[in-house]
Amino acid sequence: MTELLIRNACVFDPLNGIRGDVMDIAIRDGRIVESVQNNADVIDASGFLTLPGGIDSHSHVCGTKVNFGRYMSPEDMRAGRTARRGKMHVTSGYYVPTTYGNSYRYSTMGYTTVLEGAMAPLEARHTHEEFNATPLQDMLANTLFDGNWSIMEAVHAQDVKRAAAIVAWTLSSVRGFAIKLTNPGGTEAWGWGGDLTGIRDPVPNFNVTPAEIITTMIEANELLHLPHSVHLHCNNLGKPGNYATTLETFGLVPDLNKNRQTLYATHVQFHAYGGSTWRDICSKADEITKSVNAKPQIVMDMGQIMFGRTMTMTADGPMEFNLYCLHHNKWSNHDVELETGSGIIPVLYSKKSLVNCVMWAIGLELALLTKNPYQCLLATDNPNGAPFVKYPEIIGLLMSKRYRDEECATLHDGIDQRTSISSIDREMDWNEIAIITRAGQARALGIAAQGKGHLAPGAEADLAIYPIRCDDVDPATEYRKVVEGFQKTRFTIKRGRVVARDGDVIVDGANTTFWVNPTIPDEHNVANDPEFVKKFEEYYTVRMSNYPVQDVYLPRGRCIKTEADI
Amino acid sequence: MRVILEAKVRKKPFLPIEAESIIPRNFLKGTDLAVYEGNKERKLVDLFRISVEGTAVTPEKIEVVLKGDTSRVKRIGEYMDAGKITISGDVGMHCGNFMSGGDIEILGNADAWLGREMRGGYILCHGNAGHYCASGYRGEKTGMQGGRVEVLGNAGDYCAEYLTGGEVHIHGSCGDMAGVEMKGGQFIIDGDATRPCGNMKDGTCMIFGTVRQMLPTFERIGTKKLPDRKVTVTVYKGDVANRGKGIMMVKGTGRSDE
Ligand SMILES: [Zn+2]
Repeated sequence: MTELLIRNACVFDPLNGIRGDVMDIAIRDGRIVESVQNNADVIDASGFLTLPGGIDSHSHVCGTKVNFGRYMSPEDMRAGRTARRGKMHVTSGYYVPTTYGNSYRYSTMGYTTVLEGAMAPLEARHTHEEFNATPLQDMLANTLFDGNWSIMEAVHAQDVKRAAAIVAWTLSSVRGFAIKLTNPGGTEAWGWGGDLTGIRDPVPNFNVTPAEIITTMIEANELLHLPHSVHLHCNNLGKPGNYATTLETFGLVPDLNKNRQTLYATHVQFHAYGGSTWRDICSKADEITKSVNAKPQIVMDMGQIMFGRTMTMTADGPMEFNLYCLHHNKWSNHDVELETGSGIIPVLYSKKSLVNCVMWAIGLELALLTKNPYQCLLATDNPNGAPFVKYPEIIGLLMSKRYRDEECATLHDGIDQRTSISSIDREMDWNEIAIITRAGQARALGIAAQGKGHLAPGAEADLAIYPIRCDDVDPATEYRKVVEGFQKTRFTIKRGRVVARDGDVIVDGANTTFWVNPTIPDEHNVANDPEFVKKFEEYYTVRMSNYPVQDVYLPRGRCIKTEADI
Repeated sequence: MRVILEAKVRKKPFLPIEAESIIPRNFLKGTDLAVYEGNKERKLVDLFRISVEGTAVTPEKIEVVLKGDTSRVKRIGEYMDAGKITISGDVGMHCGNFMSGGDIEILGNADAWLGREMRGGYILCHGNAGHYCASGYRGEKTGMQGGRVEVLGNAGDYCAEYLTGGEVHIHGSCGDMAGVEMKGGQFIIDGDATRPCGNMKDGTCMIFGTVRQMLPTFERIGTKKLPDRKVTVTVYKGDVANRGKGIMMVKGTGRSDE
């Protein structure tokens, strides 16, 4: 039995309604408890801001796509080099760092849980191997179904149960956590040299539309009682005028779950553009947030961009090809058999580019115009919008109008006509920041029940203690202190153990991978369906028996079982 | 002032020495400099016999002379901005990286990455240079931006890759992919080259020997007499595949395979 007492913590725990109370937190064997014995180890939090461990609900840190970004960018390995020190491995890289680089940087920023935004099922092993080398965060994998042939056939047959059964078999086979749809149907169309222009376009050869895929998958998701909702990267990413597609998509979503949203729309900044070309692009964040404010069934994340160099990587192959046509930079595209695809290209977001300035403003507008902070979470689609190490600056921008004004003054003049960022006075408070960086993520991912994102007794003892005294710092004016404070925790605690201190990681780490296993009645299990098996053996390059990820790849996996309503 | 560094005989001569501290400016404050041998930090004096003649108050007045076996000494002259370095034998990889001023003279051969991402100054190599001479770095889109690199012998593959500014002159021949991805500057090859200037965007490349496997994506735009060379060259523009505006001049038609 190991016990730890954290004294004098200034706690914000939104899921439990705690707002800045100075209190003690007792921990036993990795979980929060009511009290500990007098001989417990003690950490003095000295009145510092103490939050549940940070959760990133959409980030690309592990898997084939991220690793191909590393292959393609040897120059990135010249940045962010740190030598071996204590328990810390050598790291290198800035926007596509080594796995340990990602893990250490997240940890020193107080993040203890990260969802990998897109895992191709066929390439799941690699993702899980890299999860094991990201040892300081519990990991979860969004699993791609956007161009899955069997799913599209089930959608075409209007057979929701069949779609649910395929999802169940796939998620449990590849140890995935949630359904991810990236440009549904579009990446498959790209496999045939085309793309889709909206959610009513039919996917070539399958005769289903993105709208049908999305609505069927939403229903299937709820039949399976998955902890998370469908996680959607809308069609038409990064195209001027695409806000219409986004609004149309939001309009499809029924409210089916009382505990959480029914649709998680990711990196919405990339989907909130007005205008018809890059010349007249403008923000439609007002329209998007008006829709979201009226639809509790939708949660989105910002997809904030920050100025500087980074790497875009997504399963959205056609979008990456469009980016290549724009930048003529090195690029890659991949096809993943019967499932999905991907593309990668480096970018530089520049303050001189009006388009980039508009993008920057839209992300902030989305967060500031969404009334309920649980509905717009902080993320950059790391590293697409910016490497996650920029999160503290985004927190600073959301907490300080003055900081935003000072940044705006350095941007392209056109930003005032194209966006409303200068007219927004809202400044977030500590509680709202706690929501958009952990509590909201825990609720949206459905992992509060797993003890994530809050500090009630029984919760996992994941905490971040930031060297910020909330009473002494006025975020509106002293935003630099806020940014610095969120860059390095005084202590990051994971399962009751101090893992990082003042910017140094001090343990080897031992994370957990959460995955779901929905129980399906035998007669619906696709593994028993000769037609499904035959198709698999016919078209995949691997045998069906070799497809599932073995337990050895998840030495500390934690299975979340659900009972399907099929 | 002359600083003479004579490499001592080492038990493990293959262990590379990382010696980015060897630039004239650093000797203004004495010779107590650190270098790495393999993964161990050493003092300069552990690896070199050091003698200093005269004094200097500016780096321009300092010449560093390296003697003995320096073929495994890497990064000599990295970020050098003034003065002179003379290497009497061969030099290891990455000599003159990011150099912005001053002269480096190598009497022997240079290993790979000579003058990589150079910005100014002059490098003269009397022998042969290895691969990636006067090039960029892996993955980067900008190579050498200024200064001059002259090699009296041959250069290896990828010479002047991503050349962006400055001048590179190889008196001998180049290996494969010379001047690939050139974006500017001037590149002269007196000898032969294979598949030169692929993806060239801008700049000028002149080849006076034979071009092997000339790329089909260069557009012939005419001929030109070069009186000082007493030759007529064929002028090509390209790389068309990259919408390039680069100029490649080759003696004759340049096409050995025609
Ligand atoms: Zn993403």
